[in-house]
Amino acid sequence: MESSDQYNFSIFRPRNLHGKKNRNVILTMLLIWAVAVFGFQFLLRGIEKPTPEKALTLFESTWPAVVTGELSNADYKTFLYALVLVKGKSTIIPGDQKVLSDAISCVAFTVVPDSVRILMISNVRDLDSLKSDLVRATDQEYLGIKTMIAKKNISLAAISESYSGFKAGSLEASIFTGSLHEKHPESLGDPTLSALPGIMKFYLTHNQSKLTDTRFLGFPFHYFYTAVFLLILFIALCIVYNILIEWRLGKEGIVE
Amino acid sequence: MKKLYISLILSFSGVLSLHAESLTQLEGSFKTGPAIILIAILVTFVLVGIFFRAKDPADYYAAGRKISTVGSGMAIASNWMSAASVLGMAGMMYGFGYNGLAYVVGWTGGYVLLLILMAAQIRKYGKYTAPDFIGDRYYSRDLRIVSAIFTILISFAYCVGQFGGIGLMFKWILGINYAWSVIIGSSIVLLYTLISGMIGATKNMQIQYVIIVVSFLIPTFIMTFKFDYFWLLPQIGYGAAVSDIVQGIPAPNISEGVALLNAYGHDFSIVPSPEFAMPWDPSTGTTFFQWIAICFSLMVGTAGLPHVIQRFYVVPKVTDARWSVVWGLFFICLVYWTAPAYSTFGKLLSSNPEVGVLAKDAIVVYTAQLGNVNSLIVGLLAAGAISAAFSTVSGLLVAGASAFSHDLYVRVINPSSTPRQQLKIARIGTIIMALAVTLVALMKLGLIAQLVSVAFSMAACTIFPLFLLGIWWSGSNRAGAKAGLFAGILVTTISITYFIVGLSGGSLPSQSFISYWLNVWYFAWIGAPLAIIVNIIVSKLTTPTPLEIKKFLAEQVHN
Repeated sequence: MESSDQYNFSIFRPRNLHGKKNRNVILTMLLIWAVAVFGFQFLLRGIEKPTPEKALTLFESTWPAVVTGELSNADYKTFLYALVLVKGKSTIIPGDQKVLSDAISCVAFTVVPDSVRILMISNVRDLDSLKSDLVRATDQEYLGIKTMIAKKNISLAAISESYSGFKAGSLEASIFTGSLHEKHPESLGDPTLSALPGIMKFYLTHNQSKLTDTRFLGFPFHYFYTAVFLLILFIALCIVYNILIEWRLGKEGIVE
Repeated sequence: MKKLYISLILSFSGVLSLHAESLTQLEGSFKTGPAIILIAILVTFVLVGIFFRAKDPADYYAAGRKISTVGSGMAIASNWMSAASVLGMAGMMYGFGYNGLAYVVGWTGGYVLLLILMAAQIRKYGKYTAPDFIGDRYYSRDLRIVSAIFTILISFAYCVGQFGGIGLMFKWILGINYAWSVIIGSSIVLLYTLISGMIGATKNMQIQYVIIVVSFLIPTFIMTFKFDYFWLLPQIGYGAAVSDIVQGIPAPNISEGVALLNAYGHDFSIVPSPEFAMPWDPSTGTTFFQWIAICFSLMVGTAGLPHVIQRFYVVPKVTDARWSVVWGLFFICLVYWTAPAYSTFGKLLSSNPEVGVLAKDAIVVYTAQLGNVNSLIVGLLAAGAISAAFSTVSGLLVAGASAFSHDLYVRVINPSSTPRQQLKIARIGTIIMALAVTLVALMKLGLIAQLVSVAFSMAACTIFPLFLLGIWWSGSNRAGAKAGLFAGILVTTISITYFIVGLSGGSLPSQSFISYWLNVWYFAWIGAPLAIIVNIIVSKLTTPTPLEIKKFLAEQVHN
């Protein structure tokens, strides 16, 4: 008479020696897998520290003078540089982009003489017009407008180069000219710009640690570990598992 | 003869070159060269489908168990690497930085679970489909029906993202609108799935794998070489580019007197952007919890996807099931090691505000364009992305059709049906499913990778617990399985309901709380463990599993 209980089993309570060895292999593999994947991320989380970018330091060194309205020309350039470095990031949400553009426009149009300001505003208007045309354009017309925008940007950057400190044609100059708006707050003390310190801190502070700052084969170490090494480990685990299982099946004479 | 072939290939290349055009405009126009490549590839798929067409139900469902280990590995990889892998994954890294890597790890780490816990045991159990296994193991017609319905729903959700990817690539190549692109693409994939079944699909998957890998790797060699990184192994070479993004590249970057420029003539430069690589950076809108939840959900979902599990029925021997996982994973990793390179170069090449932030799901193709890669190679890349979507969709449609005809029609509705009738029902099921998926794909509900991750969470909450406990615990019984499945379905329903309500602009109680903790992209982090726990508790409290099931498991499945 067969009993139902004699066939009871679970991964934790195998029925025989073969099952026990099998269980040990499986649980060891799973443990390595879990620690390698999740353990590392928890370690990363555990040791990380909020680390500011250099641009935040520059911003914070000039912000008190902004509040009191005592910025020197050099301070303006530093301040503008910090703003442009944030504006150039692709993760900025639209609301924050507007605040940054307003601040950049405010500084840019404050430091230049009236004659240059008029010239800059005229170029900004032309750029806005070209950008609205671009939305509807296709094929050669699209490429033509793109080229005109690029030329206009360079021209605008050249006009303001000595005041902004950004070399015409450079990435910073493109970000700078792309941020300029004719309508902007009159001064940096404007209430609409009060969110600026918070925005700068938010985008310029990152979770960093020894694991993120160490370089390995060119990668930040944690990035290499997750994007490259873990995949190698997964394949290795699978190969080792197969070899172990088949070796044991052969040794015990079990035919599947 | 060889000379004739070579001259034919050369003249074909010549025609393509004549039609190669400037790719400086990222979207909008009809691209002749890429279109010819795409058509040639699609014609090949259909011809292979006809040549290796299914002759009976065994061929249709399980390729007659005639597929070799390496071939099965390539088919697993091709079946697996969908538009989400080729297009969506790089897009996630481009948009969400380090959190995008949760998709890379989640979609590969799941194979370790699949191998260790499932592959050989499923093959030993000897059933064709997931509902077949569940119905048999839990001696329940109801569970067979429910799991068949969920197999269809999972395949359906997975297909939606794929059809979206097909639409995007057809749109890019043909210059037609998204809706027509989806309709044309889905018609073609439906055509060849219908005439080929699994065996034709499996042969095609091997060809598709080669196309995917070749088309995906070539542009990265070119870009790493062009931008002066270690190009012999782009999967490592792009690492220095990641570090450059973190630190910023000052302009102008001149190498040996030649400026490194993108397709618009902008300097190869970028402001310091640590958010691209630093973990769960606040500015990417992602958190540590989300990284863990996404990764876990994708891993567990991998081991519960019916169309993946189904692949283990097509190998001749149990040992082949195990080694096909290894081969499959290796072939998958070739692409997954490379995908972050696209997001990295995409980030660098689109750093100028004149380029702007690129559409995430098209980042792979846009990056190659911006990197001034030859237009024909970019065209091949787009065709490879379509191949990836096609190979997965064909597998999904077969899995969905199998659930419909084999598990619902044959087992429940008409057990005395002839093989001819079964094949006919399978084909009708495929058509209905493809039409429904096309309609939903036209709505553009999310990014490709996100849409696909819904299918993973669904599988993790419903199918995975039933397989895991069904294989590894003889005590798991029908009542426990039903209760566990109910718990998984409950979590799934709550998450999807909140998502749909949120999408339509409405709000339910605790909308933001549920939308974060039970987000539709990763709700399995709680759903899967809950389904397992409920299954165990109810099984302990109810009538034990019948003797014959326990005996079969002990003797046949666990040696």
